Amino acid sequence: MDAILDSIFPLSPQFFVGALTAVVMVHLILGTIPLLIYFERKISAYIQDRMGPNRVGFDLGLPVLQKLFRGFGFWGLGQSLADGLKFILKEDYMPKGADRALFTLAPALAVVPAFIGWAIIPWGGEFLLPTIEFFGREWVSGGYASVMVADINVGFIYLLAIASLGIYGITLGGWASNNKYSFLGGLRASAGMISYEIPMGMTILATLLLVGSFAPSVIVEDQVRNGWFILAQPIAAVVFFACILAEANRAPFDNAEAEQELVGGYHTEYSAMRFALFFLAEYAHMMTSSAFFTLLFLGGYHVPFIELTSPEATGFLAVFVKINVFFIKVVGLVCFMMVIRWTVPRIRYDQVLKLCWSSLIPLSLVLVVATSIMLKLGATEWWQMALMNLVLLIALVPTATLLFNSKTVNKKLPMAGSRFSPLREQDVSTAPVSRTALDDDNPFNKAARPV
Amino acid sequence: MPIPESDIIRLERKPLNAMESLYLPEVVRGFGTTVRHFFTSFGQSKLPILGASKTTRVMQYPEERREDLPIEEGGMEESNFRALHRLNRDEDGRVKCVACMMCPTICPANCIHIEAAESPWDDREKYPAKFEIDELRCIFCGMCEEACPVDAIELTPVYDFVSHTREEMVFDKEKLLSIYDLTIERKPM
Repeated sequence: MDAILDSIFPLSPQFFVGALTAVVMVHLILGTIPLLIYFERKISAYIQDRMGPNRVGFDLGLPVLQKLFRGFGFWGLGQSLADGLKFILKEDYMPKGADRALFTLAPALAVVPAFIGWAIIPWGGEFLLPTIEFFGREWVSGGYASVMVADINVGFIYLLAIASLGIYGITLGGWASNNKYSFLGGLRASAGMISYEIPMGMTILATLLLVGSFAPSVIVEDQVRNGWFILAQPIAAVVFFACILAEANRAPFDNAEAEQELVGGYHTEYSAMRFALFFLAEYAHMMTSSAFFTLLFLGGYHVPFIELTSPEATGFLAVFVKINVFFIKVVGLVCFMMVIRWTVPRIRYDQVLKLCWSSLIPLSLVLVVATSIMLKLGATEWWQMALMNLVLLIALVPTATLLFNSKTVNKKLPMAGSRFSPLREQDVSTAPVSRTALDDDNPFNKAARPV
Repeated sequence: MPIPESDIIRLERKPLNAMESLYLPEVVRGFGTTVRHFFTSFGQSKLPILGASKTTRVMQYPEERREDLPIEEGGMEESNFRALHRLNRDEDGRVKCVACMMCPTICPANCIHIEAAESPWDDREKYPAKFEIDELRCIFCGMCEEACPVDAIELTPVYDFVSHTREEMVFDKEKLLSIYDLTIERKPM
């Protein structure tokens, strides 16, 4: 027994802190998502001059609990709980002819990529973990540890990898439903998400050229020294934000499930907890994306005008404050996304792709080139970069008209061999081809046929 | 008759100028509108946060009701509101109805069912032994009220009546008379 324990313990400090972070953060995020849904409902209500949920409490309609929680239902905080309860009690419906395995797998495939992105978020920076000893055994050896799950030096490449994975759940969900509208919804989602990965990668590149590293901890430290990258690269920040909106399928790029004008989208056929998982995935995705935006542009856990202490001098309280700062920034960004949803109208599907291919991708390409030139010139101070961004923006105004106002919108593509563009020797007939349509005994045909 | 050409206003979509085609400045302007609405509505709740003015356009229904508001502020005109029926009583407290069968005849939804019997009183020949209105079938058109020769059936402003079963929504004579007792103060005969 001792031999086995000796072979496992003491754990390395990074492994211990990483495992602890993973467990705590997964529960923290899962607990935050109902609160975010409540925020979304409240924010949208206030923007539309409504009140939003303000009655549901935690009493579940039971008289005993009503006495206990008197007054708590005032703000409608129990709404998300009630919704969750409803999801559990709903019928778990699977359409006829659906691919059972993929239909079940798809919601999980949507949720998992949204969560594994958290692995590289540096929540609280590096600190010196003291040795943990009790029962006469050294369980965790002391040493430097970062408050993150995995301190890997390819952090942002990992981000790009898992961002692509999120598409699988959505596309498979649409395809496995055996419903052509779900399938079309899935296709809309995948086309949009794949397109927006390109400018996202470009803007990450343009920003990380200033750091020279993909490691998240190095990126934060660089921002502590040289100012947040939203000051140095504002254009990249805006483009990146647009891309994470598209990646998370949020308005104004939420064509995947445009609930007002199109049939539901990839989750039309989903109900009960399967649908809840898709819903969860959307909000988890928003939080993951916001965390990456915070990490890349808003200085991670850094508070302006406060110097970070060295790892040796960092106490547990400082780590706790850093985690809170990071989390507040993330939740603030998610709320900003919600305000965007009620500000910017949904863009038509071809405009979504056009915005990406004909303006965001060229823009981010130009930005990468301009940043490289600035690096070559050795001008990497944040105000020099901001000046470069400003010059780029001013130069953009005359070219923007060229990019957006091309005349090729809604071009009708002739389909050779169809009724409307026949082949040369083809005999075109508009007569009904169905045999029942020609049937004179059919009363429907007599009524429908023009005299 | 075709609309004369002079009445038609033809609108052309203005081409975007360079600033507008950048899209983002307009989005920022839109934020102004959204955030303004957000903060003016923030004080709608009963908690006075941030000193926002109470610009409520929402009525907290079971506590606040339209009938409590003046009509100029979106209140409800009770004298001709058409909701739940009542059977009026005369001065002696008897049912006023004489079972003439006008209302079931005119009812477009066929929701009134009357069984007439010989009246126990001297001043009329018939009275309704049974008078049932299926409130689920009723379309609240008010034709019964118009048809009644003795003003026995009337529609009241009581609109929030619910039940757990369909049977409870078939109002019989006693129930309809009790609605008269309930609403005679609000809506005099």
